[in-house]
Amino acid sequence: MKNRLRVLRAELDWSQADLAERLGVSRQTVNAIETGKYDPSLPLAFSLARTFNRSIEEIFEAEGSRSRVTT
Amino acid sequence: MSDTPPTPEPTQSPVEPLYTHPASPFLRTESGFPSSVAPPGPPSRPLQSTWITYRNQIEMALAMLAYLIFLVGSVTVLQANPDAPWRYAVAVLPVAPAAIVVLLFVRRLARLDELQRRIQTQAFGFSLGTTALLTFAYGFLEGVGLPHLNWTFVLPLMAILWAVGAAIFTIRYR
Repeated sequence: MKNRLRVLRAELDWSQADLAERLGVSRQTVNAIETGKYDPSLPLAFSLARTFNRSIEEIFEAEGSRSRVTT
Repeated sequence: MSDTPPTPEPTQSPVEPLYTHPASPFLRTESGFPSSVAPPGPPSRPLQSTWITYRNQIEMALAMLAYLIFLVGSVTVLQANPDAPWRYAVAVLPVAPAAIVVLLFVRRLARLDELQRRIQTQAFGFSLGTTALLTFAYGFLEGVGLPHLNWTFVLPLMAILWAVGAAIFTIRYR
């Protein structure tokens, strides 16, 4: 899953360790989410959204979601 | 006219904080942004004692040390008293510190985050599967003449394969 975590983190000048500490997860987990190797659980995604004061959709984008979701 | 420059009216001049003067001994300690807009800065990491940082590792090491001491003590006592009626109690004594190791390990697992738990689950699966394959294979080989191995080798083998699996799956998510 694509995400804008690295950009959002850079905007606030946070290191991966800083974000990990806020989320209560390991730095490795933050890195795996950023690189798209691991998709976070829904509770962790909500924590991320709350931490950055954005909606989940503003942070994550499912691959191919634009073509599939028609509202 | 006087020599002193006219002081500006208090209402006209903006209030200058003390730290804006170049020679000011005051240090600026607060953000220039309004607090409602300013993003929270990175959390400060206070210096922590070794006990807080490495508590889990220290506890685990102490429990393992206790297990080794109990094991050596138990074996020594049993060799000196091979026919004592209390030999059964002494023989199982090392299980007590081993139970503490298990307890600490389970507690450690419960405190892992979701990715670390996934890695551990995969590592345990890898360990269980490869141990099963290896022990079955050796069992078949024993059937055709290889020497019989003590079954207590199975647990260390499983532990080593678990560590190998944990390393493999940790690297995969890096």
